Amino acid sequence: MDSLILQTKHSFFLSLALGAGWLLSPESLVITGNSSGHMTWLTLPVLAIVALLFGLTARLLQQPQLSSRKGEEFTLLAEFTGTIPATALTIASSLPLIVLSATALLVTSGYTFNEVFLYWFPNFGFAFLLLAILTILQFCPEKILHRAQIFFVALAAGGLLSLCLLGFVKIGGATSQQVAELPTHFSWATIAPLFLLFAGSTLGSNRERPFLLPIAATVLFALWIVISLSYVTPDRLISSTIPYMTAARKILGDPGRQIMGAVVISGTCAAYTGLMLAARRLLATIIDSKSGSQLFSIKMQRWLLPTLLALITAILMATGLAGEELLEVLLRAALMLWLLHHIFLCISALVWLKKDSRLPLAGGGATLAMVAALFSLFISNAEHTKILIFSFSMLGISTLLALIWLTINKRRNHSAKEQETQ
Amino acid sequence: MKKLIIFLTFFLLSTGLQAFALEVPTVSKDELKAKLGSQDMTILDVRAGRDWSSSEFKIKGAIRAPGNKIAEWSKNYQKDQELILYCA
Repeated sequence: MDSLILQTKHSFFLSLALGAGWLLSPESLVITGNSSGHMTWLTLPVLAIVALLFGLTARLLQQPQLSSRKGEEFTLLAEFTGTIPATALTIASSLPLIVLSATALLVTSGYTFNEVFLYWFPNFGFAFLLLAILTILQFCPEKILHRAQIFFVALAAGGLLSLCLLGFVKIGGATSQQVAELPTHFSWATIAPLFLLFAGSTLGSNRERPFLLPIAATVLFALWIVISLSYVTPDRLISSTIPYMTAARKILGDPGRQIMGAVVISGTCAAYTGLMLAARRLLATIIDSKSGSQLFSIKMQRWLLPTLLALITAILMATGLAGEELLEVLLRAALMLWLLHHIFLCISALVWLKKDSRLPLAGGGATLAMVAALFSLFISNAEHTKILIFSFSMLGISTLLALIWLTINKRRNHSAKEQETQ
Repeated sequence: MKKLIIFLTFFLLSTGLQAFALEVPTVSKDELKAKLGSQDMTILDVRAGRDWSSSEFKIKGAIRAPGNKIAEWSKNYQKDQELILYCA
């Protein structure tokens, strides 16, 4: 087993960087921008509450009674749902999210590079180039990969922070009237998308500091929300498909666009690498829990998985999925599958802890809030039939893959035992 | 060898015909700027999905008409109407 990928103790910066990938992606910036347009100043306490709920569920999953278990989250889930459903849910919640988010984010980065930095460089060319670089990076030793992730996250967070500071300096520290404006839309439908900001954050390897990432994310996004509302009207933030770029242009003009361009590209790299590392770790725990071949495990997570996912992403980009509205629906469905997986993990932990007569009420309450958010995300989406079809298809395919893998594993173990007896 | 020559002939002919088919009238940036605001001309943004939503550059007043749904929106315009389509 590749020991580094299952390692749970990390430095302060690596703990932050592993979970913060998706948080700093352009998609998260769109969710934050649109939400702050809808809820204005109320976005700040709502974001803080959502972050707190994720901190509470992360703490729930790292209870000492649970952390001694081999295979960690996966074993916990498998004990609650059974091995095949747990494997299927784990695959369905992670792999489609990587492929679809990569397709969407790489195309966004391609446009950003073309429109902000080099007009003559084709946007699609840049998207494919970035995909190739990020895939090659996955083949590098873990140490280099972790350092690259810290660099991507630091660049994206640093860029966003510098835009906030420059924005505050420009307006002399005073916020505009828009921040104090009453929210126009405030309902579960406007709150629920904020839960999707934390996709992959709890799948990271950080088990020691459950509140570190939620607190850091709240501080950074609170600054960005205040500065966005100070420069851009709520209506514009709601209607814009790239509210982050609209705000950056208003704050600092062309230099602001260039800083935001760097944030978008590094945020894309951070999201891809972060989600891929989380998926590799999950896959390692699945293989480890069923005592799969060590060689197969390392080959699978270091070579096969990144190559396969990059190939699927390249095919989706080449066939023009990014030019279809369907991509947005599928990406939303993939994010909801991730939230469903997280909810199941929390319920498994609660069931296990209840056996010990130690039911943590805060963790239970946070899980319940996430169930409500998932329900709201589903109901408020006009395309819920497509979301259902996609989710069940992914779960079906994942179940099939789980069955195939378990059969191969069973045969392999059986023949190994036979060889031992001979 | 004979098969190869036939294949190459067909290949060159088909690509050559494609090149002719791609010859559609275009307007330069300056020509379009001069025409902006004219009632006789309609600008159509044929980008869809992320191609449209990720782009910062959108011409003011342009109507969204996704390129993959030409059959749907083309009925709304007359044949002699000047339509300017852009995708980047």
